[in-house]
Amino acid sequence: MELSREQQTELTRIAVKAGQILHQHGAESRLVEQTTQRLGTALGAQSIELSVSSDSIVITSLFNGNCITTTRRCYDRGINMQMVCDVQRICVMAEKQLMDAAQVKDRLQRLKPMKYNRWLVVLMIGFSCASFSHFFGGDMPVYITTFFASAGAMILRQELAHRHHNPFVNFALAAFVATSISSLGVIYDFGEEPQIAMAACVLLLVPGFPLINAVSDMLKGHISTGIARWVFATLLSISVAIGIVASMTLTGVVGWIS
Amino acid sequence: MELLKLLIIDAWFAWIPAVGFAMVFNVPKKMLIYCAVGGAFAHSLRHLLMHFGIPIEWATLAASSSMGFVGLYWSRKHLIPRPVFTVASIIPMIPGSYAFTTIIGIVELNSGGYSLELMQVIVENGLRTLFILGALSFGLALPSILIYRGRPIV
Repeated sequence: MELSREQQTELTRIAVKAGQILHQHGAESRLVEQTTQRLGTALGAQSIELSVSSDSIVITSLFNGNCITTTRRCYDRGINMQMVCDVQRICVMAEKQLMDAAQVKDRLQRLKPMKYNRWLVVLMIGFSCASFSHFFGGDMPVYITTFFASAGAMILRQELAHRHHNPFVNFALAAFVATSISSLGVIYDFGEEPQIAMAACVLLLVPGFPLINAVSDMLKGHISTGIARWVFATLLSISVAIGIVASMTLTGVVGWIS
Repeated sequence: MELLKLLIIDAWFAWIPAVGFAMVFNVPKKMLIYCAVGGAFAHSLRHLLMHFGIPIEWATLAASSSMGFVGLYWSRKHLIPRPVFTVASIIPMIPGSYAFTTIIGIVELNSGGYSLELMQVIVENGLRTLFILGALSFGLALPSILIYRGRPIV
């Protein structure tokens, strides 16, 4: 297959677009690297070199001694696995030669992040944290307190995320609200051990995905991205802890470390 | 019989957070059922192992690596990247409460001054967080580290 200069530029742009979408929606570095390289070689490049850092990607495509390099900044768009699945599917179809460059470009541009109905998510997250309270040994009243505390925090979290507030502020405020609501359970002595609700209701704010991604990035050789993700997740946890401590100081109810 | 009942209750309460967090991560609708099955399976397996006296870190490693292999099968079958199922499935096992205890302890250490009891809480919880988290991620990465070694899975 012969590529003109324009075609190679086009190919590089398509590959970097795929990598950018993956990076923005929370794929691990290995997946970003592999998928971009596979898509590039499937569209005809001889090789694709890629450098993934925590907030940008740099890509160089090589064809008959011609190099084309381009950089994309990757702003965090929130974790969205559906986008990751779709990009992966496009990559596999391009590899099987079911799509040419124009079709791949068209499909990538038409991708739209799917979002679940927000109230459904609030309901499920409420039940999730309530289930955690069951794991900690809580009874039915604690289950109810946890449900309302974490559902309230989730509503606030979605509302602030929708208005593009800083994630650290968002998490601290959500932790504050969750702890305050669940401390009502302690004040009115609702259930056997109402402190359990205070521990369980903030678990919706654990940055689980960034933490797992951080460790698996580091295991697979992307040490610097892994460290960046780890620091981000740690800072998020610290802001959650600040929110919890602020609420405990204001209400005077101690649910942690008594 | 008693153990079986415990495991079923455990599995029932584990699928709810798996699906709840999968929805926060916007996992496609068709895949939610796999997250539910995976979450219930992994958490109840860990519960079973811990019931026989295995320490939590090793039980977590066993549960997450078996989840990694199950995820490998599903991902080959549906041509979908593995983190889509596996991360949501192990969310119920994430040591969130240990992590927050550690950091709240550090905040208290600053405001209330040094004390041996507080330091013990911080160190014990912090180490447990690190080891459980390492076991979780390492277990999930095991198939690609041992079998695929750099080749793409899907």
